[in-house]
Amino acid sequence: MSQDQCPSTRGKKEIPSSRALNKTGSTSVWRSPEELAGDPGIADWLEREFPAGASELGRRTGESRREFMKLMGAGLALAGAATIPGCRRPDHKIVTYSRGVPEDSVPGVPLYFATSMPLPGGGAEGLIVETHEGRPTKIEGNPLHPINRGKSSSWSLSSILDLYDPDRLKGVRYDNPARGVLGATLDDFLAWQYDHFRRMDTSGGSGIALILDHKTSPSLAAAVDRFRRRFPRADIVVHNAADTANAAEGARIAFGSPRREILEPETADVIVAIDRNFLDHEPGSLVSARQFAAGRRPMKAGDRMSRLYSVESGVSETGAAADHRMRMAPSSIPAFVVRLARAVMDQVGGDSGLSQSLADVALSGEPTQREADFVEAAAADLASHRGTSLVCVGKNQPAWVHALVWALNSALGNTGRTVRSLPAPTMATTTLAELASRMQAGQVSTLLCLDSNPVYDAPADLGFAELYSSVENTVSLSVGPTETSEISTWRLNGAHYLEAWGDTEALDGTIAPIQPMIAPLYGRALSDLELVSLIADGDEPVGYEARGYELVRAAWRERLGSSGPAFDRIWRRALHDGVLAGSAPRNGMQAGVDNARVASGLSGESVPAGPSAESLDVVFATGIIHDGRFANRAWLQELPQTATRLVWDNAALLSPATAEALGLEPPSGIEGAYTATQLPKSRIAELTVDGRKVTIPVWVMPGMADNTVILPLGYGRRECGSVGTGVGVDVYPVRTGATLAGTRGATAQRARGTAELVSTQIHWSMESRTSIVRQVDLQYFNEYADEKVKPKPDKIYGIEGRDVELNLAEQMGELSHTPANISIYPNPMNRGPKDPDPDNPITPDELGNTPAKALNRTVGPAFSRGPQWGMSIDQSSCTGCGACTIACQSENNIPVVGKREVAKGREMAWIRVDRYYTGDDLNEPDQILHQPVACVHCENAPCEVVCPVNATVHGPEGTNDMVYNRCIGTRYCSNNCPYKVRRFNFFDYAQVKFNGGAIEGLEILDNVPNRNFIPPRLRKQMEEIEKMRQNPDVTVRGRGVMEKCTYCIQRINVAKVEVKLKGLNGPDGSRMPDGFVQSACQQACPSDAISFGDILDASSRVHDERENPRSYMLLGYLNTRPRTTHMLRVNNPNPALREPVDPLAGHGHDDGHGESHGDDHGGESHGDDHAFVDPAGKARDKGYAMSLRVLGAASGVMA
Amino acid sequence: MKPLFPKWMNIIPTVGAVASFGGLLTVIAGTWYYATPDYWEVGYMPVQPGEGFNHQLHAGQLGIDCRYCHTNVEESPHSNVPAVSTCYGCHAETRLAGSEFHRVEFIREAYGNNETIEWRRVHKLPDYVRNFPHHVHVNAGVSCYSCHGQIVGMPIVYQHESLSMGWCLECHREPEKYMVPPEQITQLVWVEDEWMSQPVGDRVHEGVTAADLLQSLHDAPPQNCGACHH
Repeated sequence: MSQDQCPSTRGKKEIPSSRALNKTGSTSVWRSPEELAGDPGIADWLEREFPAGASELGRRTGESRREFMKLMGAGLALAGAATIPGCRRPDHKIVTYSRGVPEDSVPGVPLYFATSMPLPGGGAEGLIVETHEGRPTKIEGNPLHPINRGKSSSWSLSSILDLYDPDRLKGVRYDNPARGVLGATLDDFLAWQYDHFRRMDTSGGSGIALILDHKTSPSLAAAVDRFRRRFPRADIVVHNAADTANAAEGARIAFGSPRREILEPETADVIVAIDRNFLDHEPGSLVSARQFAAGRRPMKAGDRMSRLYSVESGVSETGAAADHRMRMAPSSIPAFVVRLARAVMDQVGGDSGLSQSLADVALSGEPTQREADFVEAAAADLASHRGTSLVCVGKNQPAWVHALVWALNSALGNTGRTVRSLPAPTMATTTLAELASRMQAGQVSTLLCLDSNPVYDAPADLGFAELYSSVENTVSLSVGPTETSEISTWRLNGAHYLEAWGDTEALDGTIAPIQPMIAPLYGRALSDLELVSLIADGDEPVGYEARGYELVRAAWRERLGSSGPAFDRIWRRALHDGVLAGSAPRNGMQAGVDNARVASGLSGESVPAGPSAESLDVVFATGIIHDGRFANRAWLQELPQTATRLVWDNAALLSPATAEALGLEPPSGIEGAYTATQLPKSRIAELTVDGRKVTIPVWVMPGMADNTVILPLGYGRRECGSVGTGVGVDVYPVRTGATLAGTRGATAQRARGTAELVSTQIHWSMESRTSIVRQVDLQYFNEYADEKVKPKPDKIYGIEGRDVELNLAEQMGELSHTPANISIYPNPMNRGPKDPDPDNPITPDELGNTPAKALNRTVGPAFSRGPQWGMSIDQSSCTGCGACTIACQSENNIPVVGKREVAKGREMAWIRVDRYYTGDDLNEPDQILHQPVACVHCENAPCEVVCPVNATVHGPEGTNDMVYNRCIGTRYCSNNCPYKVRRFNFFDYAQVKFNGGAIEGLEILDNVPNRNFIPPRLRKQMEEIEKMRQNPDVTVRGRGVMEKCTYCIQRINVAKVEVKLKGLNGPDGSRMPDGFVQSACQQACPSDAISFGDILDASSRVHDERENPRSYMLLGYLNTRPRTTHMLRVNNPNPALREPVDPLAGHGHDDGHGESHGDDHGGESHGDDHAFVDPAGKARDKGYAMSLRVLGAASGVMA
Repeated sequence: MKPLFPKWMNIIPTVGAVASFGGLLTVIAGTWYYATPDYWEVGYMPVQPGEGFNHQLHAGQLGIDCRYCHTNVEESPHSNVPAVSTCYGCHAETRLAGSEFHRVEFIREAYGNNETIEWRRVHKLPDYVRNFPHHVHVNAGVSCYSCHGQIVGMPIVYQHESLSMGWCLECHREPEKYMVPPEQITQLVWVEDEWMSQPVGDRVHEGVTAADLLQSLHDAPPQNCGACHH
């Protein structure tokens, strides 16, 4: 279990030709099937720092040397033409304000406003939006909002892309039955609807149907109420394709009324997650992730730590975070729940009627030994943690399972403590299926679709697209184009949530205003609230002004029962804070679970036998782009998806064993999937689900349940803008109203051809270097943490040599086998206070004052005066959600590159999350581990010494700075970076339109099915509107320039100025208050896994964490002295299921490892292992390159 | 036999060597002199709307403080160019109806139509310089004069300094030579005549010496790349 990968225990014999696996005693750590198998192709891939980079030209047909010369010639000619007028300095205009100067606006100083964003499926996030001269640029979490507490999800962070999306709907369009599609104005629509709905008043609105997105908004609810008062016979449907209604139905069984579940895992010591990924992509996942992580972060021996059991069919963040994870087919999971409930009820003596019903549920077959053990251990753990445990189940499990879990939590006394519920009123009067049957019967004459897209995502059996076209008047309101909007009679351009007034109710009931940041970008636009209200209230069309502001205020006034100045005070405070104070209901759990109802819900249920290769279980999954609504957000498309690390695609996920059984393994074999060809080839499967067929590429996913196929929803959009259209495969055609969550009995066959799927799972590999991800079991953490607290890791190098001992985390790595690393060349930056610079003594000048030079920290004892920036990343808290990547992308103007470029290893994200598996079984890995890696800002940075033009240099505060205008693109730095965190602009990624097709005159590219394959140099230039989202404080990098994490130095600089001007310094004049400057990733991280600050400031969190026994330097034995340290992951296994593993066992680490090392290992090859300073003069044993080879050899022997 | 080449041709290699050496020197000297911001940037004086804003008149003769118009210079990284309404404050129809009244018609017109006036930018740092905070410099005691020259003597503003990185660093290395008492930063004539003209050690204003100013700095001016380039 432990990742002790001590190279010296193995002896090095000879250097193998291919990379070998990181094998560690009994446990292997790997990132892809071919790596587990030791595929020689992977060495080829990994050896190049940008795998398919420079040598591409000339390899492919049509890009010969002649082509190259032609392009170069044309380029030079263009450059010449461009230079002649360029001799004259371009005229830059300063456009001033005229009459109305905004009151608070100071040009150059961003303003921050609070707002909130409705989340799909109800709930909301409270946000702070950074605006520059009225232009929103960056979205951040609102620290005052109880959901966010300053954190934010990838969904809210990336919503800025929708605002500046050039493909947005820019005006009203009317499809006249007689004359075809016409341009129209909002006034035309207003006039039309006024007459149209007035005529329908007499019939009470019979024939009107309103389809709303599932949103929780008090003012929208009030508007819908008014709508229903005006049209009592209208149908109102709330549609969210990702929802399966199982959770709501389960709550209805358990409580007798619809209620929503709120998880509060903060006080939970034992959590059992059943097919549930509560850590991401849920309305409450920010809260869950934060509270869960808080219970998983032991800092010293004896700290509380929760234990997570996860049973799941796919591989989710929750499964990766779990201490015990079991893969299980979705149709077998109810049996697991029943067995668990029986065992728990036995122990806690629950309701007898319920126990009887539980006993009556027919389960087919016996559980496997592993399942039985798992159930027993989890049940015992739950029963012994009454009131401090939590069971939760995912939306794809049937309603009776949800009800049973409510009963289970109730029996355990968890309700009201770790899980509570709130009423979930709905605005709907009917369901989509009923509406469809009325449409079928021709009873619907007017259909309004507000922010929903049923033509694309309605259940396939409804045939909704055809029905929709058959309705006489259809009105759609959406921000971007959708499949629905394109076939509507009236297509209205909706206002983005940053453009209109509104309000939201978060999952916990907190009400927050939506405050517009900017006027609608393309002229007049309505929000859903305004559209519903204007119909409900019968607003006069002439002189209509959007009145969201009044609507929200009126709804709030009514709700609060106050008016006049008192209300204004509340309102202004709410606008300022971004939350309506005291709006969250305080009473935790009003309703009690009705065991009798749960018992009757169970009656007659049975769990059939599990799936087989001929009868597969199907799961419809939602992920980063939800039900497809976020498909046009390029950042999300390029964010590697959980576990698969796929980008720009969806695929049918199959376990390796199932893929092989079905003949769907990749053409190059199950273990050669990725590296055999430049673009990896996958098999294509033809799936038959309930008689419906879909053809979709297959991705082999270790750790998944066997005989299960997971189909991610939301891809294969046909109309959603240039980014998302045509990305992936639409699997809605096999999803019916009865199989929203998934189904059974599917079959799969190999279809003709192969598909190209791009995954980043082996990108930026730190090769076969070992001890990268480290972990320890809680028992041994408790045993070692206290007695082995030693000085922080970075003390072990430098002037003090090795007279200090290592902390726990460092003892688990190579550093414990590395002798003192004392260079004969003192690094001037490494000087400590005891070791001042003799060449630059600080002497007063003739006036008796300290010269200016001496004030400068680059002279004299560098790195000893604050602030000295550092970061700590806690792998125990990290869930791998990727919010850090998106936040960084937004803050630092990082471009997306497209599928084809990602396939070549050219993705630009500065912070990546590496995913590792452990274990020797490809089909059933022991664990999934996540590790965020960005530039670690080495104090002895290998990149700096190889740059021929000093483009990457060290700052006096410990940052490794990149000077873009000096960079000439040699890429030496990236080659020399052991962490693989440098990103190179092979093309003008930041200037070309991302996926918007080719430049004019290249008709050949018109037929490219997936626009992402168009290479950047053939793409159109980015549109001006897209540039508005850029952060003005960060340079937009051009082609041929290297870039990487800067520690958000622009924020540091702004903070320093602030401190200087406002006199916020500490007494010694150099300290910045901890938390005053936050990096974007730290700010966003929902589980608070990243801390950043001044490592010299003893009161800072990062200082504490660096001193913690869990902290280690990634690849620290290379003497890079990284400023970003990682904290090892702590697992809390149940000894009944797995014995904790002593990470230091057998290595003699216990007794002063550094000194007594040789004795512990016996003689055979150990002497040679101190090769770093081997005096015998072996040529290969010198320096940095050598260390790689030694480690490669060592692991090779073991493999 | 008559030699193939006359004897005088022996001089050709020498002349050639001298000429090419001279040519090389010329190229180096030319590059040295011409290919610099000092040559290309200094003196840039774009044509401004109207007949240009006369700083000599407004800031010089009339003695209007710089911060009357450039209001945010102490609190923002940008030194703002005033809104049209600021101009109109003095140049409204009912005010300052002198002989030059018609010359500022464009201001009244812009104000009347609620339109902007597109001034031409004179001082511009390259895009890869992301951080030149006016407020830090002004508050630390760097006079407008140091970077913009004797603005109060310019009928039409032109670029007075090269704004090259070497030029920035001159001051960042020895700030005491350029710092003035913070309350005097906009007194450009005083700064030039009374302060900068003195040797650094002799500069005193109401008891404040250059050395005192240096000690008032919280930090030495940064000289690392990351301070400006990010």
